[in-house]
Amino acid sequence: MLEVDIKKRLPGFTLEVAFSVNREILSILGRSGSGKTMTLLSIAGLLCPDEGYIKLNGNVLFDSAKKICLPAQKRNIGFVFQNYALFPHLTVRENIAYGIRHLPKQEIQEKTCQLLSLIHIPDLGHRYPNELSSGQQQRVALARAIAPSPGVLLLDEPFSALDALRKEQLEYELLSLQQVYSGDIIFVTHDLAQGYKLGSKMAVYEAGRIVQCDAKQKVVYSPINRSVARLIGVRNLVDGKVTKIADNHVWVKIDSVCAELKVITEESSQYAVGQEVIIGIRPECVRICQNNEENTVVCMLERYIEGVDINHVRFNTCKDGSGGYLIDANIPTGMMPQLSAGHECKLYLPPEHLIILNR
Amino acid sequence: MAESILPPLLISLKTVLATTAITFFAGIAAARWMARYSGRFKNLIDSLFILPLVLPPTVVGFGLLLLLGRNSPIGGLLDALGTSIVFSWPATVIAAAVMSFPLMYMTARGGFEQVDINIENAARTLGANEWRVFWTVTMPLAWPSIVSATILALARCLGEFGATLMLAGNIPGKTATIPVAIYFNIQGGHYDQAMILAAIVLVISLASLTILAYYKQKVRKAARN
Repeated sequence: MLEVDIKKRLPGFTLEVAFSVNREILSILGRSGSGKTMTLLSIAGLLCPDEGYIKLNGNVLFDSAKKICLPAQKRNIGFVFQNYALFPHLTVRENIAYGIRHLPKQEIQEKTCQLLSLIHIPDLGHRYPNELSSGQQQRVALARAIAPSPGVLLLDEPFSALDALRKEQLEYELLSLQQVYSGDIIFVTHDLAQGYKLGSKMAVYEAGRIVQCDAKQKVVYSPINRSVARLIGVRNLVDGKVTKIADNHVWVKIDSVCAELKVITEESSQYAVGQEVIIGIRPECVRICQNNEENTVVCMLERYIEGVDINHVRFNTCKDGSGGYLIDANIPTGMMPQLSAGHECKLYLPPEHLIILNR
Repeated sequence: MAESILPPLLISLKTVLATTAITFFAGIAAARWMARYSGRFKNLIDSLFILPLVLPPTVVGFGLLLLLGRNSPIGGLLDALGTSIVFSWPATVIAAAVMSFPLMYMTARGGFEQVDINIENAARTLGANEWRVFWTVTMPLAWPSIVSATILALARCLGEFGATLMLAGNIPGKTATIPVAIYFNIQGGHYDQAMILAAIVLVISLASLTILAYYKQKVRKAARN
């Protein structure tokens, strides 16, 4: 169990975060410069916060009140750096054994062999890091970090330098890692899809603060505010007013557009008729439809980019193209009707995919 | 002939070895400290370390003379102990050390700064203390620069003239290094002896720099693979 409550002031930036991780994977999501990496460095002891405390399994790693700040070497924390930071002058085997040299020789030998086969390169122990592929290097960095059985494993944008195919493979491997590594895992990413896939809990960072920290489903399906919604991929956000509430349905009238949209939410009791709210939808949930069902909006196609499997289309709710709300939609290539800019069409916004939040 | 060639050669070699040993450790210590130091006076300290490189050697020698001479506190203390540094063999070492320090410092510092701080940090998170990080990570990674630094400092020591003459003087068989001996040989019209000494310096310096160039090429090739 890792408990963090820290504050660090820098010129023009303040990091102030508090969270805890208990035998789970926490993914920290945020734009670059929001303090994600700084948090990891503070936990690892490579950066000293100004105030607060950090505790790992009951041991104090940092406590400003008691003037305790253990150096990195005494914290027993695994760190996988964004650029892997392997020791280029040591072999793969020596890299993995670097953190466990206090063990008896026999044990070091066994452990490195075990880790080498775990990362699928049992025969490459004698090679140097630059003789491996980037995916293999990444796995060596992971093996090196977990070799000393750290209390918590920190991963800083671990897959950002890999291509999509390798990324998927490694994500799978990271998840299977939990069979051999039982401590807490925190990893930092700016990629929502990855954060969702790998984490069980998600913390959304903005300008040095946590705006939402919750189970991943909760973060993705009920973001707490506009900026979290944006960050988790809800690109279309418009202001509206609640007109009717029934069971788990909320009807929202969109300002300046003649449309009333039905939203399905389990938290309908939180809202009141007349309340000003924001509703949003992900581009991939917007559909083009033919008939006038409920939750449809008439729009004009403004522009689109054709993709291999998905077309990125932008619609405007105002038919003459001036003003109005812009709605971005990702339409699968097979579902894309023959349309060109200026055409009018109807968009269906499924009530189960609409997200409602307080203004 | 040999009696006028051999003493300066031996003095120079002795001075070069002693000085390089001192500069090696002092330069590395200063470089390592400055490479990660970010205090207020960073630039000032850095400039002070490099200053002997741009000052006229006579000015450095003059400064050392004032600092260590008989009328200075240090000189006075040594005098009370019945000894003195000025115009003795150690003076050649001090003068050469001060003059070669900037090259050692600058080159080594460049090497340390190029070491990815994440790699050092990785070692720290793996339980290595600062000492182990330095010897198992920082030094091996900065090694090519350290080698360059040492060879450049060594060559600079061998060629040191102005500050040495000011502080150590020209005492044949005691403080007259090769460059000093060359100067006084030419003054005295002994061109043949000057020529031999000059040739020796030329060969050693050229050989050092060529070895360094080959070494650098090898390192670059290894890094590419």
